[in-house]
Amino acid sequence: MNWMKGASIAVVSAGLALGISQMMRQPAEGQVPNVKLSRTADGKPDLNGIWQAMGTAYWDLQDHHARSGPVLELGTIAAVPAGLSVVEGNEIPYQPWAAAKKKENYENWLSRDPEVKCYLPGIPRATYMPYPFQILQTHNNDILMAYEYASASRVIKMGKTEPPPVDTWMGQSTGRWDGDTLVVDTIGFNDQTWFDRAGNFHSEALHVTERFTRKSPDVLDYQVTIEDPKVFTHPWKIQMPLYRRQDQNAQLMEFKCVEFVEELMYGHLRKKTGDEKPFAAARMRWP
Amino acid sequence: MRIRGFVSLAIATIVISACAPVAGGEKPAGTDGAGPATKWTPSRTPDGQPDIQGIWTNYTNTPFEVFDEKDQPGLYAGDPDGTGRGTGPGFINDSFERKLSKGRSLVVDPPNGRVPIMPWAEEKRNYRLGHIQDDWVNFTPWERCITRGVPGGLFPTGYGSGYQILQGPGYVAIVYEMIHEARMIPVDGRRHVGSGIRLWNGDSRGHWEGNTLVVDITNYNDKGNIATNAASQRVRSIPQSEDLHAVERFTRVDENTINYEVVVDDPKVFTAPWKLAMSLNREPQYQLFEYACHEGNLAVPNTLSAGRAKDKAAARAGTQ
Repeated sequence: MNWMKGASIAVVSAGLALGISQMMRQPAEGQVPNVKLSRTADGKPDLNGIWQAMGTAYWDLQDHHARSGPVLELGTIAAVPAGLSVVEGNEIPYQPWAAAKKKENYENWLSRDPEVKCYLPGIPRATYMPYPFQILQTHNNDILMAYEYASASRVIKMGKTEPPPVDTWMGQSTGRWDGDTLVVDTIGFNDQTWFDRAGNFHSEALHVTERFTRKSPDVLDYQVTIEDPKVFTHPWKIQMPLYRRQDQNAQLMEFKCVEFVEELMYGHLRKKTGDEKPFAAARMRWP
Repeated sequence: MRIRGFVSLAIATIVISACAPVAGGEKPAGTDGAGPATKWTPSRTPDGQPDIQGIWTNYTNTPFEVFDEKDQPGLYAGDPDGTGRGTGPGFINDSFERKLSKGRSLVVDPPNGRVPIMPWAEEKRNYRLGHIQDDWVNFTPWERCITRGVPGGLFPTGYGSGYQILQGPGYVAIVYEMIHEARMIPVDGRRHVGSGIRLWNGDSRGHWEGNTLVVDITNYNDKGNIATNAASQRVRSIPQSEDLHAVERFTRVDENTINYEVVVDDPKVFTAPWKLAMSLNREPQYQLFEYACHEGNLAVPNTLSAGRAKDKAAARAGTQ
């Protein structure tokens, strides 16, 4: 039966790719299907569960055709799948200097993308990486979002909060309910995180406003407004569905990726014993 | 860990200026054990769990173990002048003016307050802590910014000691300030993952026995350490094996106190199971800060770099 559930998600996803996607981009109002959605004991929409994005926004928020991956020997396995833009209107309104820097980031992706080094992903990137995340709603209080990638997490404080005392990778998130939509405001970022693997970036002036709306028992509509007056000429928006993981006993698994990058980051500093098994010299090609 | 200590000191200064000092109000921990002295009854979450939510800290002046003359605190701490006792003196938490109790030891069983470590495991620890300049695997997973482990992540240390417990339907979550881990503990009766899955922090499964959250942890890998910080003295850097089995018990005995106990059983590393008991103290004004450890980890590369510089100097001296 798990296979059936998985297959039905795949069909839904294929349907989106084939054209329902335009429908999904409409505003949330008036789109809620005639299904009674469960609520928490305090009457809020029940967002509890393990969720995951299915598109390829983690590769590139904008329209992108398929292309070869960076390591020749990995062939198809590391190739980049094609995807339609999740950015409203497809264009990201960079200031001219920032557009040049984005291009430079893309061309130097492997040496610059913080994901390569297992660094904290920031918001909104954490939401649509190819790993699940879990929402835990407490009664009338904080909401926890725990991400499988790098054991990242954030506690969303509901109501009023003090200004963030320091800049951080994950920012400081404050939540409120706008009708049946969870609205999360996040500020207090540093300038180190990216939006995807295509070099899209921001400054420490980033202000992210996310809107989580249940569309059906197993689908969340995820809309994000991104403001950063130091990098963009005006605010811009992304939107995508998030799907509930249907696997029986679905749970966040451990993905402590620091261990996977120590050789990459510190290998040249290790004392040589003569027993080393050298990595095959992979041939790189990027972009 | 001087760099991280400095950063946290700076952060502590911000915290102190931002909020009034909070008295810890800690109950005597350690040798006093975790006897439920009161009839206090916790409120319940909507799905019927006893409510243990809030911000908790675990500062204490009680040493991890009863000290023995043969102990080498300098070795364990990586600090020849350190005493390796407790988390209080010399650590930043003193600035908060918490009234910390000082019991005999956090280890309450065996009765002598000493963890029954097998000799091979002590030798492995001695080798690793003596060779941190050779290879990052000789550091504890804490300095590598991977994890302080389970249950080790709850053992007292000098800073970054905030924990937020949140509860939702079928889950208890513990957010650890140190290494920014969110530990999701299902309390819905599901079974452990298959034995082929081995994890740094093991696989946690909880259930409620009255007002006590009991968490059973299995499926460990053999790469972690049972304890990672200097405050854990002789137990720091002691390896965990795949046979490690831990059982934690969280009991909220009053508004401000959770009695925490853990029984650690690892027949490949310890000659007998041992038990640690301490309290988690509610501290609602404590602010957890992002512990972006790996992102700023200079300790590991700088230590290795110093080792290679020594190697070069030694080679030069040898050729002259």
